[in-house]
Amino acid sequence: MDKKPNTIFRALDRKAAAVTEFTMRQYRTKISTWVVLIIGFLMISLLLLFYVDAMQREYESIDNDGDSSDWDNDGYPTGQERLYGTDPNNPDSHPGTFLPPIAPDPPEKWIDEDDFDWDSKPGAGQSISVGYDDDGDCDRADRTESQKDSNDNEIACDIILESNIDDTSNSVYEIDADNFVDEDPDDGKYAKEAIHRASILAIGKLGFVFIIGIFIPLFMATGLIRDEMSSGTMHYMLAKPIARTEVFLYRVLGYLGIVWPYLATLTFVSALVTGLGAPGDSFFRFSEFGLWLSILFAAMLATLVYGMLFCFFGVMWRYGVILAIPFAAWELAMALLSMGAPDLAILRFSVIGWALTIIDSAAILVWPDLDLFIEMGSWGGGGEGTGLWGSSIEGAVPLDYFSSKPGLGEMSPFVSMLISTVVLLVQAAALWLLGGLIFKGKEIQ
Amino acid sequence: MMPDFDQQGLPQTEEWTPEIKAPVILLENVSKTYGRIHALTGITLSLSGGVTGILGMNGAGKSTLFKILMGKIRPSSGQVRLFGTNPWKNPAPYARVGFVPETEKMHDWMTAHDFISTFARLNGLTRAKAKTEADRVLDFVGLSDVAHKQIGRFSKGMRQRTKIAHALVNDPELIILDEPLQGCDPLARTTIMNVIRELGRMGRTVIVSSHILHEIERITEQIVILHHGKLLALGNLHAIRERLDKIPHRIDIGTSDPKALAKSLIDIDSVHGIFFPEGENLSIQTHNLGAFHSELPKRIIESGQSVDSIDNPDDDLESILGYLTGGGGL
Repeated sequence: MDKKPNTIFRALDRKAAAVTEFTMRQYRTKISTWVVLIIGFLMISLLLLFYVDAMQREYESIDNDGDSSDWDNDGYPTGQERLYGTDPNNPDSHPGTFLPPIAPDPPEKWIDEDDFDWDSKPGAGQSISVGYDDDGDCDRADRTESQKDSNDNEIACDIILESNIDDTSNSVYEIDADNFVDEDPDDGKYAKEAIHRASILAIGKLGFVFIIGIFIPLFMATGLIRDEMSSGTMHYMLAKPIARTEVFLYRVLGYLGIVWPYLATLTFVSALVTGLGAPGDSFFRFSEFGLWLSILFAAMLATLVYGMLFCFFGVMWRYGVILAIPFAAWELAMALLSMGAPDLAILRFSVIGWALTIIDSAAILVWPDLDLFIEMGSWGGGGEGTGLWGSSIEGAVPLDYFSSKPGLGEMSPFVSMLISTVVLLVQAAALWLLGGLIFKGKEIQ
Repeated sequence: MMPDFDQQGLPQTEEWTPEIKAPVILLENVSKTYGRIHALTGITLSLSGGVTGILGMNGAGKSTLFKILMGKIRPSSGQVRLFGTNPWKNPAPYARVGFVPETEKMHDWMTAHDFISTFARLNGLTRAKAKTEADRVLDFVGLSDVAHKQIGRFSKGMRQRTKIAHALVNDPELIILDEPLQGCDPLARTTIMNVIRELGRMGRTVIVSSHILHEIERITEQIVILHHGKLLALGNLHAIRERLDKIPHRIDIGTSDPKALAKSLIDIDSVHGIFFPEGENLSIQTHNLGAFHSELPKRIIESGQSVDSIDNPDDDLESILGYLTGGGGL
């Protein structure tokens, strides 16, 4: 084997490896490490249990358009009477009077009978025609052409889907449906899918990036240098020809050496659970692995920045945890803000705002229909919040809450992911330099 | 050499390199204050080669001095140079220094071999080189047989020796030991002292601190005395001691009949005064310790009295300090 030349970089390498390895081994001997990691695991497990429970639940199918009830008590559901052109309000008028008489449908047949048929979405500022009248109650022979085309687009029994650009240059959808089209969607199917998606986003954003992202560094990184300084064991390391800035960096690397594989394991477990639990016919939904990968990536960057920051707090002050707590509160506020208003400028002064942008961008890539899907659920058959006659479908509200558009304005999700990554790395580097500088100026007793 | 004004000689072929020989340690008027407490005041010191003992009571500023030398703390004023470099600004000279800190805290979860080889890698050694180096230094301090035991299970002496071994990797030119003998049993003391003497013989610059005179005496003759953060004396211990012998000393002799013994001692020239502090005790003051000690055994035998103990309570750091600070030995 060739003897490798002994360069300064090789020496740096050796120091980095030694401190990193030492730090990782040191973590292993501390009970607190195990406690923190196990608590983190339990928290994510709890969230996953909620998810599994939500997926196991049967979502009540709501008769959004009310046509399964038999208002005139003639034994025929309203939908069936409409289909055959009899008067739903007249007990003497029903398809049973036909020759040959038609047997009444069970009321369940008129629940969830007209699901969404929205297979494409309009480009910005455009409008398209979607929708299909599955149950045939729009395209009835007894209705006039103008009755069938109540949205006046010259196409009978369709839905106009229009994408408008609002003042903040976000696109919003406007839905204008002909009467009796897609008016009684399959609530259970929608709710499961929506809750499935909302759960992934909630677990990813709050569970991984916020809770794990702050909680683990808070307990594991704050003492990285401070504990050694307090106990006096830092003397051994600092008696060697190694700059303190280097020590700072390599200690954080050792911390990442524990935290990143841990995050990867947790994400993998979560991805398995949500992949198996995903609604639909397939045994396992692979398509969301990309989203989980982005959650892992965002959480890794968050733990990097928080780790640097908390280690820096620890170096700065013996009670660095006290500085970390208001910061964690700030980050929580920013996380909650970003769910509702992802484009607020104040989010740019946080870590989590950028980290969540990565997840939001990935969500768009993985679920290109996400905004339309939320819009669909909120529309819920057209009746917008008026009792029986449709309102937003279960699951649409949480999904709307936990998902948000990447807040960097209209750009490709890849670009906003890249920008966020660069910003987080710059934050980490700045905190490293700052922490190293403070550490350099500290006298070690 | 005269410059070649006529330009007739051969052109200079060899490149001239300045001969830089900075002292290993150079302190110039170094002071360190913590608020209103003066930990060190105006220390000026330069050391190169040999074993030097830093003597001082607890709180005299020995550890502060070492921490300043090792760049752990910044001097409030003055210049510090370690191999000609400011250690606060630049960690490079630590490559040539081994430091044994005062702290008793160690990484208890590691084995001695692990501890030493891991930290040896911070000198830029490869993993394999660090391991052989750890074997070497552990053998040097006589811990080879427990090299793979956890430090947490070590006795005080073994811990101290592990710390010393840790400081010796990479073969440093300067070794700084802060109270290496503290809390060790006699056997460990002897081993550590031998190690330190051996280092001195190997031509290393060794600086070792202690607050016990006898310990330093057994290691080296070259001492620096610190007192209340000030450099009180610097030089050969024997010279100091000789001067010390000339000042009044107290010697306590434990005997069953102090009065009888006193009678036979009173006419020794060097005896200055005799007291009887307690029942079976005799306290003698002398202004020439050497002369008195050479006379004492003979007189005791002559008197036929049995003597239980001879104690020289002044032969310690406090009395030296008292003498040096002008307060008198008593």
